[in-house]
Amino acid sequence: MATLRFNSLTGTLEKNSTSFFSSNPRLCWAYFQCNNKGERRASRMTVKAMGAAKYKGTQMREKKLTEMIEKKVTEAKQVCEGDETSDECKVAWDEVEEVSQAKADLRLRLEIEKKDPLESFCQENPETEECKIYED
Amino acid sequence: MAVCPVYTTQSLNSTCSISTPSKTHFSSHHNHLVFYRTSKRTSKRGGSSSCVITCSAGDSQTVVIGLAADSGCGKSTFMRRLTSVFGGAAEPPKGGNPDSNTLISDMTTVICLDDYHSLDRTGRKEKGVTALDPRANDFDLMYEQVKALKSGIAVDKPIYNHVSGLLDPPELIKPPKILVIEGLHPMFDERVRDLLDFSIYLDISNEVKFAWKIQRDMAERGHSLESIKASIEARKPDFDAFIDPQKQYADAVIEVLPTQLIPDDNEGKVLRVRLIMKEGVEHFSPVYLFDEGSTISWIPCGRKLTCSYPGIKFSYGPDTYFGHEVSVLEMDGQFDRLDELIYVESHLSNLSTKFYGEVTQQMLKHADFPGSNNGTGLFQTIVGLKIRDLYEQITASKTAAPLQATKA
Repeated sequence: MATLRFNSLTGTLEKNSTSFFSSNPRLCWAYFQCNNKGERRASRMTVKAMGAAKYKGTQMREKKLTEMIEKKVTEAKQVCEGDETSDECKVAWDEVEEVSQAKADLRLRLEIEKKDPLESFCQENPETEECKIYED
Repeated sequence: MAVCPVYTTQSLNSTCSISTPSKTHFSSHHNHLVFYRTSKRTSKRGGSSSCVITCSAGDSQTVVIGLAADSGCGKSTFMRRLTSVFGGAAEPPKGGNPDSNTLISDMTTVICLDDYHSLDRTGRKEKGVTALDPRANDFDLMYEQVKALKSGIAVDKPIYNHVSGLLDPPELIKPPKILVIEGLHPMFDERVRDLLDFSIYLDISNEVKFAWKIQRDMAERGHSLESIKASIEARKPDFDAFIDPQKQYADAVIEVLPTQLIPDDNEGKVLRVRLIMKEGVEHFSPVYLFDEGSTISWIPCGRKLTCSYPGIKFSYGPDTYFGHEVSVLEMDGQFDRLDELIYVESHLSNLSTKFYGEVTQQMLKHADFPGSNNGTGLFQTIVGLKIRDLYEQITASKTAAPLQATKA
């Protein structure tokens, strides 16, 4: 009977890992730098580690979400300095949560579907700016 | 033009399905029944199939499932597992808005309830309400559209764009066989609750939520442990006031807690997951271990099965939850190997599988999804099978009536 390795949910905090989910060990060795346990080591260069981004539109979305996360965290910290229980503070952190989740969803989608989310849109509209092929 | 779903006496992989959904409202007193029976000779795909086409606006034709979760929507792994149980991959609508939150497969359509935000990001900022607040959501529209889809009428559903934070032009949603509404408030509004054939609440404990959000966000520029913690804390009052109370209405709750097998574990990698199943729900028979209604504690690791640290521990028993009778199946620990999974599956009962090893097979199919090695993946898969069973029971009971009429 074949044995199947289930890797655990993610890497550890100390490694600053971006792997949000268990990787297929073979995928791990083939595409990412892996330690000897087959766990994916990733740097903070999350754009590169994000899987199958092919079109410029997807790359633009990733970039925009990354920038928004940073911007909104700064805003939330400022807004909450006065009163942590104020409505403005709650809303500011809720926005941070929204964009963080949106980025994670995009990342998850790229990894699991293994194709660019704009694939079908770009087949119909290849001439748009969003559908230019993204070259690394 | 009527909506005419075709019901057959056979199960899901039916050979006849003709449906022309229409947007026009079909008033309930127009109840046309058309009977059409195919014979072996004329049926294109062969096989004996007596098909009955019934067009009726009064009946519910679509099975509606509600899933309450705080983790974004439509793209979650729970949805992927669920749609996979029915076969086929769920994908966003082709050729439409690329930022659509909807997922469509052959049998199922998954709608994200964020699409029913009445306030976009700017609007919420102005009013000082979070997305968790009911004031940011249009429950009237949610109710109207879910009701329409359930009756077999297509709708133009708004799209909430999570990237821009704006409400985009609507997309057409055709009534599917199974409609899943996923988001923060599927059970908040009583009218919507009454439309649900089955509801699930994903209850993540604070410690696990924190660990997961750390894993999700730590690599992002701008985030730190403090910002992640502050975000969770700031949202907690609204979450506790508006989202959490929905769990009392759920037919099944999947509760995710830190493990008890490792003392002082705070990494959130090994999980204790409880599947709380309401008793007495129509078309839903809870999963059990060994002896239904008794209390069991089970460690499968021993002579027949060797597990690595920290092992696996199961328990099962009756309980009450918010005043309802429930059965609770609990798993603490991790699967490391295929044979552990199949061993556990062989000891569970009432799984609604169609063949031995189906749970294991489904888990393996998605071995790269989060939770594939613990109770979250296991229970999500089991709930998916339960929903399939519920769907088949509901549609079988609908075929019974018209078929009896034709025999008369």
